[in-house]
Amino acid sequence: MNVNFSGFNYLTIAVLIFLVCNLPQLCPAEDEIPDWDSAVADSSGQTVNWYMWGGSPAVNRYVNGYLARELKNRFNINLRQVPVKDIAEIVSKLMVEKAAGKNSGGSVDLMWINGENFRTCKRENLLFGPFADVLPNQRFVDWHNPAVENDFGTPVAGMESPWGSAQFVMIYDSARTPDPPTTIADLIRWIIKHPGRFSYPAPPDFTGSAFVRHFFYHTGAPEKWQQGYNEAELKESADSTYAILNDLKPFLWREGSTYPDSPVRLNSLFVDNEIDFSFSYHQGEATRNILDGIFPDTVRTYVFDEGTIANTHFVAIPFNAENKEGAMVVANFLLSPEAQYKKAEPDVWGDFPVVSTTRLPVEWQEKFNTRPRGVATLDDQQLQSHQLPEPPSDILVYLEKGWENQVLKSR
Amino acid sequence: MGKPGPEKQITPVTMHAAAQGEKHRRTTTPRLLLLLGPAVAIISVLFGGGLLLGLLQALGYRPQDGLVSLSFEYFAAVGADPYFFKSLALTFYISATSTAIAALLSVATALFMHFKAAQNRLLHFILQIPLTVPHLVVAISMFMLLTPSGLFSRLLCRAGIISSPAAFPLLVNDPFGISILTVYIWKEVPFITFMVLTVLKSMETELLEAGASLGATPMQRFRHIILPTIAPSLGSGCFIVFAFTFGAFEVPYLLGRTFPLTMPVWSYKNFSDIDLAARPAGIAIGIIIAATVIISLFFSQLLLNYSRNREARS
Repeated sequence: MNVNFSGFNYLTIAVLIFLVCNLPQLCPAEDEIPDWDSAVADSSGQTVNWYMWGGSPAVNRYVNGYLARELKNRFNINLRQVPVKDIAEIVSKLMVEKAAGKNSGGSVDLMWINGENFRTCKRENLLFGPFADVLPNQRFVDWHNPAVENDFGTPVAGMESPWGSAQFVMIYDSARTPDPPTTIADLIRWIIKHPGRFSYPAPPDFTGSAFVRHFFYHTGAPEKWQQGYNEAELKESADSTYAILNDLKPFLWREGSTYPDSPVRLNSLFVDNEIDFSFSYHQGEATRNILDGIFPDTVRTYVFDEGTIANTHFVAIPFNAENKEGAMVVANFLLSPEAQYKKAEPDVWGDFPVVSTTRLPVEWQEKFNTRPRGVATLDDQQLQSHQLPEPPSDILVYLEKGWENQVLKSR
Repeated sequence: MGKPGPEKQITPVTMHAAAQGEKHRRTTTPRLLLLLGPAVAIISVLFGGGLLLGLLQALGYRPQDGLVSLSFEYFAAVGADPYFFKSLALTFYISATSTAIAALLSVATALFMHFKAAQNRLLHFILQIPLTVPHLVVAISMFMLLTPSGLFSRLLCRAGIISSPAAFPLLVNDPFGISILTVYIWKEVPFITFMVLTVLKSMETELLEAGASLGATPMQRFRHIILPTIAPSLGSGCFIVFAFTFGAFEVPYLLGRTFPLTMPVWSYKNFSDIDLAARPAGIAIGIIIAATVIISLFFSQLLLNYSRNREARS
């Protein structure tokens, strides 16, 4: 009886709040950013629905295990991971909700995002913020780093909070391919010499798209695309990229008549010995997969001599999120030295920390500098000396469309 | 004295049945509305409403962006895409082929079950299994069994029948959609079989006996007696299956190739494209799919009505 009664009470209160909140003059504006202390106070007991790409068992384990446990213990927040195949689905969903006028009570509280999805969200006003500067742990982040300040050429401006960074690496089995090609030009020669032994996920898959960008960079200087290029230059470089990829088609897995649809599929082709290379937009994934028993122990990674693309990944809060305070507390905890360190451990995830080591307390600096890396992960020095910036999202979308029209469909 | 007994017993039973029939016929319109209203309302609001909203968007009606005029621009753009006919042809090929093969197998299965194994409960049970398994599960199973690195390939390789897993024939992501067809056939055979079986069960045996006594061969009896009897139900079932496979997304999405795509996968791809301008085209394709499905179901209904009228006449 008691329970029923209080249930009824909550319902009444909810209805009242709903009614009151629909009177605009009485309710605070939706976009008002709470200060940190009130965010922490309000977040207690909230359930934060975190929509994210769910294709990596290691990430899922880190989120559902360590993070969920710590957030529950420290802040009484229930973290609920909602895995999706591509966060673009959620961007679509938010578009629809925006169009339908659903400005509150949305089911997405936090999303893992970057690049063109962030650009779309920002342009269409799908995000809550700027909230990132409110988070105390921002002090560990170097906001002057161009890869943090701009997300694929789009200014971040506090609308998303960094979580980690990643760099593209090639994956090979040293037992099978002792001497892998270390430049794009060598890779092209290798593919022609070994027909049917190479493939890449079809863009717009995230990893496949990144692979194609390396070929695009191969046609000219990567720095050129950061700014000050013209349409004709872009078209010329893009067209020669498609030409190279089209010429390679007959030498690809299944003669390029079809492509793996995801990096997960690419990995299984690689371990099933159908192809000889995989790659990942994550420098620690190969080690992770060895530890999980998915890859053999002899698998190693490398970066091209000319460098590989690196980026920062972020979390953002949708405009209509129901538990914005909880989401902010989660975003802040993600940046704490302990969470960043845990995430960097090779047997957890092995993700690059996004916090700048020099800004951390001294005892953490020590820990970060001497952390173990795992057998197939390159060291920071090797990786950082071979980093290329991502091109602006426009180029990325341009290449994805162009690939589809000129490589996939030209048969 | 033995004869009148059963006769007396038959009369009340027939009376009862007649009375029930009478009652059934007396169902009034308000009562009918009350009974069917909720289901019909849900279907018309959720399906009809969605279809209407989709149609408006496909016609470029987006009041939030200040676009309120309607045009067939997106339909025209979709139709003008050279890719459209490839996609349509592929979708039609998959639906038509799987329906035709399923129909042939179903007729054979139904005949066998009716004439040779009517009492075989195990067979009935086995045939019901595919009905309960979702398409998604079947598609993933096929994937695991049939890819060159799949279970069959590995078993054959282990047994020394093929030299390496790569020598296994291409059955998944292949140009002919073999694994997609297999999934659909596996799923749809029991469905059509049971539709045909219902008709066979209610078929009078006199015609077949007369045919046999007049010297008709089994083949002739099949062609001139059984086939005309089951044809409307078979056709109706085929149209339903065709409509379903034409609009189904998950199987070609999992087992199809990167290009060309079937219409539903293509529609989804456009709809979820990061470029918002691709959305109305995605919805336009969806509307074209819906139109095909509705036409197909209309034919199915037409055939069912025909067979009902024929029964009523005889």
